Parts: sequence; C-alpha cells; structure tokens
Amino acid sequence: MTLMREIDWESCLLEPRRDPKFERRFRRETGRSSGPVSYFSGTSWIEDATVWFNVNASKQVSIEPQLAGLVGMIVSQDNSCRFCFAETRAFLRILGMPERRISRLEQDLLAEEFDARECAALEFARRFSRSNPPPDKRDLDALRAAGYDELQIIEIASIAGFFVFFNRVTTLFALPPYAKEELPDRWVVRFFRPVIAFLMSRSDHTARLEPLEPDEQEGIFSQVVLGLDGLPFARSLRKTLDGMWASPVLTRRAKALVVAVVARTLGCPLPEKEATESLLDEGLSVEQVDGILAHLRSPLLDATEKVVVSFARETVWYEPARIQQLGRNAMQTLSREEFIELVTVASVANMICRLGIVVGAR
Amino acid sequence: MDFSGIDLAIHIGVVGFAVGLWVLLRRSRRETQRLRQRLESATGKLQNLQLAFSRFAPDEVVERVIAGGIGDIGERKEVTIIFADLVDFTALSEQVEPTVLVGILNGYFDRMSEAISQHRGYVSTFIGDGILALFGALSPNPWQGNDAVHAALAMRKALASYNRELVERNIPELSIGIGLNRGMGVAGLVGSRDLKEFAFVGRTVNVAARVQDLTRQHSADIIVTAALKESLDPCFQLRALPTTRVKGVAEPLSIYAVDGFAGADEAVG
Repeated sequence: MTLMREIDWESCLLEPRRDPKFERRFRRETGRSSGPVSYFSGTSWIEDATVWFNVNASKQVSIEPQLAGLVGMIVSQDNSCRFCFAETRAFLRILGMPERRISRLEQDLLAEEFDARECAALEFARRFSRSNPPPDKRDLDALRAAGYDELQIIEIASIAGFFVFFNRVTTLFALPPYAKEELPDRWVVRFFRPVIAFLMSRSDHTARLEPLEPDEQEGIFSQVVLGLDGLPFARSLRKTLDGMWASPVLTRRAKALVVAVVARTLGCPLPEKEATESLLDEGLSVEQVDGILAHLRSPLLDATEKVVVSFARETVWYEPARIQQLGRNAMQTLSREEFIELVTVASVANMICRLGIVVGAR
Repeated sequence: MDFSGIDLAIHIGVVGFAVGLWVLLRRSRRETQRLRQRLESATGKLQNLQLAFSRFAPDEVVERVIAGGIGDIGERKEVTIIFADLVDFTALSEQVEPTVLVGILNGYFDRMSEAISQHRGYVSTFIGDGILALFGALSPNPWQGNDAVHAALAMRKALASYNRELVERNIPELSIGIGLNRGMGVAGLVGSRDLKEFAFVGRTVNVAARVQDLTRQHSADIIVTAALKESLDPCFQLRALPTTRVKGVAEPLSIYAVDGFAGADEAVG
C-alpha cells in the first residue's frame, strides 16, 4: 500500500464523453494515452491547452528530462494528486526504475541521494507549488547559486506550473487514478516493458528556443507570458489565455473574478491587477470590484458568479476529497460545460498566479 | 579417478563451507530484507506523522522542524482569534458525575471544532472548557475576519442543536461566550524543552480573552472588537456596546455584539 493510495478520492464528477477525433489528435500529438481526455473534451480552448501543455511538459529546452520528471513528481505529491502521481509512477516503472526505489522516492523525495543542484530545483518546485509563503528573490538566488541560468529557472518554474495546472484539472474532476495505479503490474505491460521503455527512450525530449512573435507579446496577463519568453510553453500559455478569454461558456467577468480571487488568496499583485482591470472593462466600478474581493459576496453577482467566486478560493490549497465534494455542489448550479470551464480557468489561474510571483521576483 | 581420504575431506570441507556461506548469506539477506521493511515502515510512519503535523502547524514550520529540529521558530503575522468559554461550567461540573461531565465536554468540543474547521479555522488549544482558535495562522487568509465571525455564528447554531440533545437527557443547557479580535502577533513553536506547541502569542490573544469575559457583562454571546469590525462584511448584524476598559489595554475598547448575518447566503464555506 503506497501513501498516495491512502488519499481519499471521490468517484469521478463527470461521465466520459467520447470524442474520437480529439482523442486521435491527443494521441498523435502527445504520444500518450487519451483515456482521461474523454472526461473533459468538448471546449476547443481546453482541448488545445491539454494537447499543448502536455507536449511542452514532455520536451525541455534547457533542463534534463529526468529533472523535469522529478519536478512533476514532487509537485504532484505536494498537491496530493493521485492521478498525476500514478501516471508518473507508471512512467518510471516502465522506464525500469525498481518498485522499491519508487516507494522510497514516494515516501521522501528529498531524502533520495540527489546532488545539490537537483535538490535546489526540487526545493524550489515544492515552494512554488505550495506558495505558503510564495517563493521570493532568495529562492531564485538559491537556484542561481546551484548553477541554474535564467532560462533554466523559468523552465523549472514552467514545468512546476504545468503540474500545478494539471494536478488541479485531474483532482478537481476526480479523474479515476485506479487504471494508472495498476498499469505497471498488468502482464501485457510487464511483458512488453523493455520494448515500451526502448521506444520511450528513443522519443525526442528536446525542444528548441521559440521567442514570442510581436503579436504574441500582448494580451491578457502578458507580463507573466513575457516573463517566460523563449520557452515553447510561453506560446502555449499565450494561446491558451487568448482562447480562455474568448470562450463564451462562462462570461469574461466570471473568468476575471476567478483569477482575481485566486490572486488575492495567494497574495499575487500582478495577475490581480490585470484581472481587476478586466473587471473594470466589464463595467464594474473600482468600489464594486473592491467590495466583491473584500468579502467574496455582493448583490451584483449572479448565481453562476457566486459559485465561481466561492469555488475559486478553494482551489488554491485543498484536500482532494473536500474540493471534490465542493465541485459536486458547484455542479448543482452550473452546467457540465460551465463546470469544466470553471475548473480549467481556476487551474490556469493557479498556474499563472504562481508564475506571476516568480516573474515578479526576478 | 581415485579419491584419497584427504581429497574427500577437502571436498567435503569445500562443500560444507559453501553450504555454510550460502546459509549465512541467506540469513544476512533475510535480515537485510527485514531491516529494510522496518526502515520503509518507519519512513512511512514518519511521512504520515508529517502529514498529521501539517494539520497543527504551517507546512514551513513542520519542514523546518524536520530539517533542523525544534529550535526557536517564530513569525510575525496578522491573525483573527476566537476565544470561547462555557458560562458557569464550574457549577455544572459540581452537579453531574465526572464521566457524564467528560462526555458533555467532549460532545461540546467536537461540535465547536467542527464549526471552526468548516470555516478554515484552526483550534490551537483547549484551555479547560475554553477554546482558542486561530484564523489565518496556517496559511494566508485575506477573508479571515469574515470566516471567524461565520465560525462563531456556526458555533452558536451548533450549541443550540447540542442543547436540545442535552435537555432530552435531562442535562442542563450549556451557554457560551465568544470573544473575537484581529491583530498582529507572533506565531511559532512555544513551550518548554519537553513540551512545545504551535501557538500565537501577543496582545491580540489577550484582548480576545478579555472580550470573551465581557460577554457575561453585556449579555451577548458573541462580541467582536473594532479592530475586527473594520474588515467585516457589512451584512453582519452588529450592535454597538458601550466602550469598556479592559485589563492590559490603555484605551477603552469599542466592542460590538454579533446578532446574525443578513446576507442571503454565506459567501464561502
């Protein structure tokens, strides 16, 4: 019995809806199983983000793939994400890491015999994920002292950011982790493991520098995106934010409220300022925005916005079973599409607010 | 091929040595396996302990304790305090059997703790029949004031429900006084070398305790200070009480009784 398997996990909040076209695209572009995507497919920007971010997470510009995997593991562990942890576990088992070593990693990732450089990255990733208190200049200096350059630092932050995002998507929907947890022990996987490992090791894990085009340097939360300029992840984030902002499922006002509440909870001024400006563009006055953010309640909020504001706050720090129950409550007011968009926007908000803290600290 | 007696003895010796070595190796491997299992079990227990600890102190404090031992760990922060006490509990304690009394008290603590944790509060300690709870101590909480007053209202409601159960059992009803205050103080590990706990210390706590004392004087079960009122949702129904001097505070305190919440719904929680 592993510790992650002891985490309380509700039954999945959504029924899967198969979309063969998107599933084929996901498999083709990411090289991964499309099983989980059937739970939340249907909204184009969410489908795109799922593909882009997964591709980015598997290819690195300046850091080693193994370090990227460990960053993902520590963030998933910190977020108690059974689904993502099970996936990483299965990946390491298939690559040939012994079960005993994985168990040791799981019990205390930082107690493993990593060198000082790796430890610095993992400590930073955990602090980034936890953000209690948020990382500051001293944390970035510690990474520099450990030998990381500026590009490597933002790449570590972006990988941690991806897992902050994806952990929330999978946890808040309560995607079933059981198949992933049992995958390495299936006879087919055990029998073909050397072949699968060989194919996985042959796949290209390197990405090239991709500076943002001038038109990609503007848009909502551009300061955060510009702070990651050079990484393919920055372009994916830019396109995701544009898609999210343009989506008609939830109003722009509701989405800006989600970001503002997450930013206020984390104490992250950069995204809160931009979200507040968006709320002003949507017709609210400064006093009205202040009133809503001061008490998370206002007669100006409609039924959907009330749910959105309450739920957004809970996505910053949570226990899986409790946030999953709150999600179930939220679904009583929201449609399936609205709930899926709310969870994804809140997950994006958690990612960009934490990235905003790092960008601000640089 | 002929074997002499010496050859035979050498062969038997070699085989015996090999068997002995094999047995020793097997035993050693079994012992190593057993030790590894114990080590893994201990690591697992430690990890569980760490998870359990994180419910009682901020993650950072837990990690600093694990990494560097229990030292002088403290941090200045803004926290909202609930100080709750049962009214005339001493008299009740003299009327009922000790086991009944403990049962009453435990039932009360269960319900109050539930109301507090449902609103993101952390019960710092039980002091006799009193409760000290903190909001915003474990993680930053910009809405700590509203959360604390909603928790106090939930405690009032939970106690009313508990009293109905007690009356059915022919046990006198309980009544409660709750004082709330908000302010800066130091959160950290305090105590003796042998016994430490995560606590919040400073004038903010003392004032909350004094305000709790005032609940009897003003016949109000929940009283908040002006320092907390400033950050509260205007939908809380507050009633100004006469300014009162309390021990340890130079200026008279402006205090307010909390009658209820007029909003159609609670924003969070």
